[in-house]
Amino acid sequence: MENGFEPVIIAFCCNWCSYAGADLAGTSRLQYPPNVRIIRAMCSGMIHPNLVMDALTKGADGVLICGCHPGDCHYLEGNLKAESRAQAIELMLEDFGLEPERFRLEWISAAEGQKFARVMTEMVEAVKKVGPSPYRSA
Amino acid sequence: MAVKIAEEWLATCGGCEVTILDIGDKILDLLPQLEFVHMPVLMDHKYFGQTGERETLEIPEAAVGIISGGIRSEENRKICEEMRKKCNTIVALGSCANFGGIPALANLSTLDELYQKVYRTSKSTEPHDTPHEGIPPLLDRVYSLSEVIKVDIGLPGCPTTPEIVADALTALLEGKPFSLPERSVCDDCPTKREKKAVAQVKRPLEQVQFTPGQKLEEVRCYMEQGYLCQGPATRSGCGGAEKTPRCIKAYMTCRGCFGPIRPGANPMVDMMGALSTIGLNPKDIEDRAATFNRFIGVTGRLRPKGGKP
Repeated sequence: MENGFEPVIIAFCCNWCSYAGADLAGTSRLQYPPNVRIIRAMCSGMIHPNLVMDALTKGADGVLICGCHPGDCHYLEGNLKAESRAQAIELMLEDFGLEPERFRLEWISAAEGQKFARVMTEMVEAVKKVGPSPYRSA
Repeated sequence: MAVKIAEEWLATCGGCEVTILDIGDKILDLLPQLEFVHMPVLMDHKYFGQTGERETLEIPEAAVGIISGGIRSEENRKICEEMRKKCNTIVALGSCANFGGIPALANLSTLDELYQKVYRTSKSTEPHDTPHEGIPPLLDRVYSLSEVIKVDIGLPGCPTTPEIVADALTALLEGKPFSLPERSVCDDCPTKREKKAVAQVKRPLEQVQFTPGQKLEEVRCYMEQGYLCQGPATRSGCGGAEKTPRCIKAYMTCRGCFGPIRPGANPMVDMMGALSTIGLNPKDIEDRAATFNRFIGVTGRLRPKGGKP
């Protein structure tokens, strides 16, 4: 799998913290792998498990949901909703025959450009290790 | 002139055929326009000629072919292919024909595991070799009709309801198109919803909280009471003209027999999302794959444990 496999990673970032965090990583000129495709959503609480499972079964090798730290949510408790949904997603990965490394939930604030770059690097490395999604060829 | 109808049952219980009888008075208006040319559940009509004189399986030609049941064996497959050849319009009757139904829960196990359990390791069974002489072999899994042949009209439900059978037959006779609405059971459910669970996940044999005679509008949403209700991910239509879904009306949770709201939707993902959104713990659900795919185990929704897609 190490012969040039470049994973496709989808990162759902909330508008108020994580997307701003990604922006900060960019303006600070931090380096992180280009495998990540960022999708901006108003809140991590609006990322329904359907979107994640659809992404994973239709071509993505890994999915990240990034939201504000608990207590910081612009909509008060959207990120807590995201957290309970993430539990459901983690359970379902097994049902779909996918490795747990393919999904991750992270809290990234607008000030954490460093953390954003680090999480993306870690995620890409982890997914490179488990290889392409079994749904990719099918 | 009467319209010729052929009816077949494959891997199914026969409940959907009973539904045709359940149409009631309306069937008296329909019957003079219908002529049943083949219907194993009702009349003696053999596949290889009445005395077995023919070599090939034959079903008489008909305008409408109604098939209930999924495809489990080689015989089922051949019969439904023959039906497709001889009938202009194919109607898939019931959840088994449309999504595999209860028999498709067997898709969770491999064929070997099934044989092992049924003929050898089940407690009430004297161990025996798997029978193989003079019977059609099973396919590797249960298939729905549309995975094997083209289906023109799908009438889901376990069993399906007299209203939609009558409506579909009437539409066919009048040459009008027939389809079910893309609405969820929740859209037609009258119970009170506040988007917040008031209890933990409960077992289905516990009783929903209500006082007898209480109006459904005043009863709290069953899911918010902690009972697993498939309503959010199930197509509506079982209530007929009255709209209130059948099981909800009887103070029971929806079990999902009408299948996904849209083709290609994944009810298990929808349900896990819905549960965690209102604050129930998704970890409390035993055997989520079978629970949320109870009637729809075909097209890879259910597969043996550890099986790759």
